[in-house]
Amino acid sequence: MKNFKVGLILFLGLVFLTLLTGCGKSEKANTNSSSSQESTAQSQSKEKIVSSKDYNENATVIVGIKGGLLSLDPANYRDRVTESVLRNIFDGLVTRNAKGEVQPLVAESWENPSPTEWIFNIRKGVKFHDGTPLTADDVKFTFDRIITEGGLGGETSPRKGLLGPLKEVQKIDDYRVKFILEEPWPILLKMLPHQQIVPKAYIERVGDKAFAEKPIGAGPFKLVEAKLDERIVLERFDDYYGGSPEMEPVGPAKIKTLVFDVIPEVTTRISALKRGEIQRVHALSPTLVTQLKNDPNIEVKMVDGTRVFMLEMNTKKPPFDNVKVRQAMNYAIDMDTIVEKVLEGYATRLAGPLLANGFGTNPDLKPYPYDPEKAKQLLAEAGYPNGFQLVIDTDQNNREVAEAAAASLRKVGIDANTRVWDFGVLKPLLLNGERQMVMTDWGNSTQDPFDLLNPTIKTNGRGNYSLYSNPRVDELLSKADVELDVEKRKQLYYEAQQIIYEDAPWVFGYQLKEIEAGVKDLQGWEPSADGMLYMPDAYMVK
Amino acid sequence: MRFAKILERILATFPIMFGVALIVFLFMRFTPGDPVDLMMGEAGNVSQEEVQALRDQFNLDEPVYIQIKDYFQNLLQGDLGESFKKRRPVLDLIAETLPATIELAIAASIFAIIVGIPIGVYSAVRQKKLVDRLSMGASFLGISMPPFWLGIVLIFIFSVKLGWTPVKGRLDFGIEIQRITGLYVLDSLLTNNWAGLKSALKHLILPSITLGSAMAAIVARVTRSSMLEALSMDYVSFARAKGLVEWKVILIHTLRNALIPTVTVIGLEIGVLLGGNMIVETVFSWPGLGRLAVDGIFNRDYPLVQGVVMFYAFTFVMANLIVDIIYTYLNPKLRI
Repeated sequence: MKNFKVGLILFLGLVFLTLLTGCGKSEKANTNSSSSQESTAQSQSKEKIVSSKDYNENATVIVGIKGGLLSLDPANYRDRVTESVLRNIFDGLVTRNAKGEVQPLVAESWENPSPTEWIFNIRKGVKFHDGTPLTADDVKFTFDRIITEGGLGGETSPRKGLLGPLKEVQKIDDYRVKFILEEPWPILLKMLPHQQIVPKAYIERVGDKAFAEKPIGAGPFKLVEAKLDERIVLERFDDYYGGSPEMEPVGPAKIKTLVFDVIPEVTTRISALKRGEIQRVHALSPTLVTQLKNDPNIEVKMVDGTRVFMLEMNTKKPPFDNVKVRQAMNYAIDMDTIVEKVLEGYATRLAGPLLANGFGTNPDLKPYPYDPEKAKQLLAEAGYPNGFQLVIDTDQNNREVAEAAAASLRKVGIDANTRVWDFGVLKPLLLNGERQMVMTDWGNSTQDPFDLLNPTIKTNGRGNYSLYSNPRVDELLSKADVELDVEKRKQLYYEAQQIIYEDAPWVFGYQLKEIEAGVKDLQGWEPSADGMLYMPDAYMVK
Repeated sequence: MRFAKILERILATFPIMFGVALIVFLFMRFTPGDPVDLMMGEAGNVSQEEVQALRDQFNLDEPVYIQIKDYFQNLLQGDLGESFKKRRPVLDLIAETLPATIELAIAASIFAIIVGIPIGVYSAVRQKKLVDRLSMGASFLGISMPPFWLGIVLIFIFSVKLGWTPVKGRLDFGIEIQRITGLYVLDSLLTNNWAGLKSALKHLILPSITLGSAMAAIVARVTRSSMLEALSMDYVSFARAKGLVEWKVILIHTLRNALIPTVTVIGLEIGVLLGGNMIVETVFSWPGLGRLAVDGIFNRDYPLVQGVVMFYAFTFVMANLIVDIIYTYLNPKLRI
């Protein structure tokens, strides 16, 4: 009895230690996954459409994914991995190609008759998996379900926030709907790929709960069975309308069975790929690329991702309340070498706060050069000739980069160290201004500054860890939020970036590549910038 | 008399469980990190109304004592609440993942017993000889090897290089097993599904070795020391003097008495294993309780973590109870 008590106490102690310290490796995807991104990774290569002689029509393809799904209901989650799988079952009004450009899908065209009104023309001949045609009723139903309070059987959809000021959807006729906004919203189209059309009649018949268990959509694959934390099995939908005519090839999927296996540990994912248990993996880290590239049966593919990485400084407290110190950090940290050595070159250095290939990135900004002498001079001018003590906070995913940055800073006389946290614990401390500097990242799947600068730079933004607050920048961003003229909107962002660049609330960082790999026999797929695993065109070579 | 004692012990588990529930509840609440915030991701707007609606739904704005009261009221009705993130009853989630964890725990324990006990016995008999030194060295390694590392190494050698065993999961794709207990090996035996049995066993090999190696080492060491103690007893000398064959002396007279501490250790270890091993389950994509717990912890999914830890404590208490009961049968001199 006694040894048991001691055991129990010890054991519980261990459990709580685990809870408290948040040990282990949390994937950023869990802590603050960018709620979703879309894009259809269409094969960009202009290869001629493969004839059915070249590929195996009955192929089974298994994809290793890093986490389980939260739901099969496209209105009831806010998580990137979930969306990357559901995109295969459901089609949205629009989608994105691999470059991130918006393309028509269920909607064949649209017009924008006034700043707050959009009319979408719905493609005829689109069918749900139960054979019923998709019409304006389904589109209206889909969006009503999301924007209505309690629209999901009493709960409100977690995706409501992704539709911004959308107020109402009106049916004009069977194949036309009108979207009415509270205020102009330039990024409506860029946000729409996040929403997939669901069948009105079926949901009304079976209810929200049953729909989430046995969903049907209008996408290229239909659901066979799903254990959300284990395995999701899909099968080709033969009556698929073919997808966007703007994105070749058009037609039903070329694989019979598409399976998603949950494999949380990245080493296990690539081992399963090497052994041939699975045919495609995503979310690989730069350090693994080399060993995969040496395998003759495996192809590694990558594309610029949509996450901005940076070191944010607490602008409300010394030493970082002084702009010279912040600029000094930008000169002192050798970001090019970090990209080259720590990230093995699989990243793109950023000059300012925005993605290199996104909308509205100011082309005149050049990255701060690595100049330790200049950094020391600025530190001396700011009254820190002997440096200061600094802890760079980070999480497991960004640990190596944070350590490299600290090493850079020690060279200019700053006593810098790193501390690794569970991000859930760290976040409230950052927002309360209790920390000094954090190495982190923010997802920007729309590749539009709206979704990046508003949360991270605007005063009191929910991801503004530098506590940066500049009235002029706030004003520019608020104007850009509702400016429909593309050129004018760009200029607003250009000016905002110029100010942010000089104010340097961050040490500007880099964007990582999305790295994926597949077996050689699997063709017709490309990684998409925002990590979607959309596979209507993938095929297995005979 | 003995039965009454056992009943008393069973009843004594209730206050323990209650205490555990209370402690877990409080610790989860005092762990920094906001469950609602962690659910929201980075894209799009997050309105105050949205956050507030979720906080209301999860009962997070009530004072802690009210939350505790609500939690225990539900608990007494056998309701562990609903997971924040997965939006499903915690009890269902545990029931779904439990068979995988049980199967792995059993396989790991069998591995530990068939490896640990013979090594322990043999080392004791050959005390201070080379064999003894080697196996005790190996067991030291077994205890100190991190399971994460061992799992990856085994995958690399046996799956990637040699191609003998699968890397992940419980079954090959395309193999169907009719679900009766959720233990795939058992279910496939019950339904004469030989393909299913083969696939399930193949998938069990590496994770059970990874999970069982530390336990095997502990079992070997405990068996060895209790064997040494038993071998020095008078009845062993007496048995030998009677002219009994040596192996009979060892296996029948000595081992039976030496096994008592070993059974204790095995029981406690199984209790630990049933809680699901977070690391091994993650490495081998084994869809069990451990992975569920990890997920819950990182997302501050209070009801899920509370439910899993409660279950964990429950198995631990039960394991102890069963060990005590087996004791009394192994050694008639003992009474609870």
